[in-house]
Amino acid sequence: MNGKRLLFSSLCLSIAASVHASLVFEKTEVDLKPDLGAAQAVAVFKYENKGETPVHIKAVRPSCGCTTAALAKNDVAPGEKGEITATFNIGDRTGVQTKTVTVDTDDAKVPQTVLTFKATIAQLLDLQPTFVFWQANEPAQPKTIIAKVAKEVTVKKMDVVSSSGDFTTKVEPGKTAGEFKIQVQPKDTTKPLNATLTIKPDVTPEKVYYAAARVMPPGTAKP
Amino acid sequence: MKAVLRQSALLLALALLPAAVQALYLRERIPWQSRVAESDLVEVETARAWGANVIWVDARPVDEFERDHVPGAVSLNEDRWSEALPQFLANDWSPEKKIVVYCSAASCNLAEDVARRLRAEAKLPNDIRILKGGWEAWLGKK
Repeated sequence: MNGKRLLFSSLCLSIAASVHASLVFEKTEVDLKPDLGAAQAVAVFKYENKGETPVHIKAVRPSCGCTTAALAKNDVAPGEKGEITATFNIGDRTGVQTKTVTVDTDDAKVPQTVLTFKATIAQLLDLQPTFVFWQANEPAQPKTIIAKVAKEVTVKKMDVVSSSGDFTTKVEPGKTAGEFKIQVQPKDTTKPLNATLTIKPDVTPEKVYYAAARVMPPGTAKP
Repeated sequence: MKAVLRQSALLLALALLPAAVQALYLRERIPWQSRVAESDLVEVETARAWGANVIWVDARPVDEFERDHVPGAVSLNEDRWSEALPQFLANDWSPEKKIVVYCSAASCNLAEDVARRLRAEAKLPNDIRILKGGWEAWLGKK
């Protein structure tokens, strides 16, 4: 009988220790869809101390330098609610970005919680490819960069300027609406050349994109 | 004695049960679990052996790069990607060299993102790898 009681107590204790946390987060995973061209995305993680003792938040640690995490106060009284705000600086990032914020507390049962946010960054302009190059002495034929504008945006005109007169550029409408063909051509492929192409779609606020063009030095091995 | 052993084993199994459930539940969220295919990774020793035939790309934030970096490495990260990429392509890139991208444990999957964009957006023909263990692995084998 004693054995059964011991078993039952152990079971209860082990389950309680694994599932009960004093600091309980409403959500530990958040999906973000920042506006097109937004500089930042903000994830808010709400929590409550559902335990009977205060919890001290020792640290909040973002997984990378592009994210900052803010906390109003470190000590959370029983029953008290609060939130951790994670601000993700988008920079030139694109696609799905998954970042985490690790929360360290003095709660012996759950000393660490990992908060995750997934930001889907839409691109105003997709360039394919962002780089064109010619081997030395390769025929100086034009190469094409396709610029595709996001569906939510209307672009009627696109200006492309080469940083070097050694390359000429021409913009033509693409196969579909919102698509442009940027033709890039070197004047000469007998010597090394390079240029940065500045691409300006007529959008407000103004946004500039870059591509690159290069003629490789003679003697450069092919990939 | 037999009963005590049986009971101990049972207690141990019961104690492990919640841990196993938790581990299974969190299997996809373990931060150190790499999303990168093994064939896209390279060990420090191998990358070093490539010598001058490699372009080192530091995907960490600029302040970390400025503190220290692999000798000869180029800083290229997504904070200023559209401006930095043309500079990298004009000054540092060469089609025949291998590219090794690294970040650090603290900067999570930045190297993966940079490697992905070099392949998918710039369409570089190079053999592009991610340094296994990142900056910390490099420091460990310095």
